[in-house]
Amino acid sequence: MGTKIAQAAGRRKGLTLTDVLVTVVLSLVLGVVYHVWAAVSDVAGLLFVQSNELVYGMWFAASTLAFLLIRKPGVALIAEIAAAHLEIAFGSAYGVQLLLYSVVQGLAAELVFAGFRYKNGSAWVAGLAGVAAAAASLLADIYYGYVAEYATWVIVLKYSLRAISSFVIAGYLMYGLAKLLERAGVAQSLRPVERKEYDALDR
Amino acid sequence: MNGFFAPARRTALHRANPALKLTLFVGLFILTMLTHTIDASFYLACVFLLLLFAASGYPLWKTALLVSGFALAFASASLTMILFGKGSEIWWTFGPIAISKESFYRGLHLGFRSIAFGCQGLLFVLTTTSTGLFYALMQRFKLGPKYAYSFMASIRLLPMTVEELRVRRDALAVRGGGGFTPFGALLRLPERYALPLLAQSIRRAQRTAAAMEVKRFDARSRRTYYYSSPVTAADAAAWLLLAAAAAAAFWLAGTLPVFGLGDMRTGL
Repeated sequence: MGTKIAQAAGRRKGLTLTDVLVTVVLSLVLGVVYHVWAAVSDVAGLLFVQSNELVYGMWFAASTLAFLLIRKPGVALIAEIAAAHLEIAFGSAYGVQLLLYSVVQGLAAELVFAGFRYKNGSAWVAGLAGVAAAAASLLADIYYGYVAEYATWVIVLKYSLRAISSFVIAGYLMYGLAKLLERAGVAQSLRPVERKEYDALDR
Repeated sequence: MNGFFAPARRTALHRANPALKLTLFVGLFILTMLTHTIDASFYLACVFLLLLFAASGYPLWKTALLVSGFALAFASASLTMILFGKGSEIWWTFGPIAISKESFYRGLHLGFRSIAFGCQGLLFVLTTTSTGLFYALMQRFKLGPKYAYSFMASIRLLPMTVEELRVRRDALAVRGGGGFTPFGALLRLPERYALPLLAQSIRRAQRTAAAMEVKRFDARSRRTYYYSSPVTAADAAAWLLLAAAAAAAFWLAGTLPVFGLGDMRTGL
């Protein structure tokens, strides 16, 4: 009996359809938030030069929130792609390029979580994943928008604001939201089950 | 979705296999991104704008309405570069703003490119259905069914979330939600909207997924598909159409240059 349960635990270690669907739905809800956030970003942009970067971290929030809730390899990447897919599904002209951006950004966030072997779900690591996604977006911007040809002070201002905003919004804000969801009792059933929890059943 | 996004007529691009079409458009995206002369980007924008009107299968006024949004995309892509770009031949300065010849043309180039990207993206989106794309990805590119069906199911779950958002907003309006100050109300937004909407959506997704797993939506081996997604002659036609459009743009840039400037990254 014990081996059978252990096998079941092993089989469900990879991503199941439940994990994927929850990740995708989570990102789509955030995708709806993104539409509102575009207006927030426009208003924030009126403050000073490049000030819309202050709220930029929200675009990386899907991947960190998904990882903080599900804690499995791959969900950060899927979450970013799902949020971009919403744009394609609803007929946005920039869907194809958002898809490519999302792959680059999602992979960067995924690498950070992988660097901590998918074990560390602290706000600090989530913030770091957000900063990594911001760095990946800089790489994409250099090819896409020639940002390397901006005056130096604009580059520094733009991307330091983006990094800070990613750290705060994708890191700490999403950590807080994940904690709220844990208190509401939805997060427990999403986490992968540890081996020792199955062993406890045998005793 | 409402009837707005229903094409009036079906072109070769509609009939082409969505998965192969996606690779074609990703190829076009990369080609456009590697375009560094303003003449080529100008003609790419023109040619794909024409192709969008000709091959999207939508009435003229609808396409024009969708295209009108590109004016804003052009402005947002070009303005920062025009105002804050590097350049040696300065035309005008005001405080931190310095418009130079290089930054001006580089900004225009970015604007033309963003129109070309927009036209290509819109052409793909207007000729492809989400369901068709995922069935094609499963059959042609062996995308795992658990991913494809999750993406398809999530689109169907979304209207419920939007409905819940509406109900929640109305309920809070009736009961008098929010803090005592505007700032306090803003701080409680995550708790009042994000938390209940996310919690409900996650629970619903879990229930739906459990039902889908029981029905073996995630089974990989020996499965059949409700829609078949073959490769047909329309794929060759789509390939030829897009390749001809891109070739025409580069040929025009070579024979009829409008600006006659060099590589946009390294000065002019």
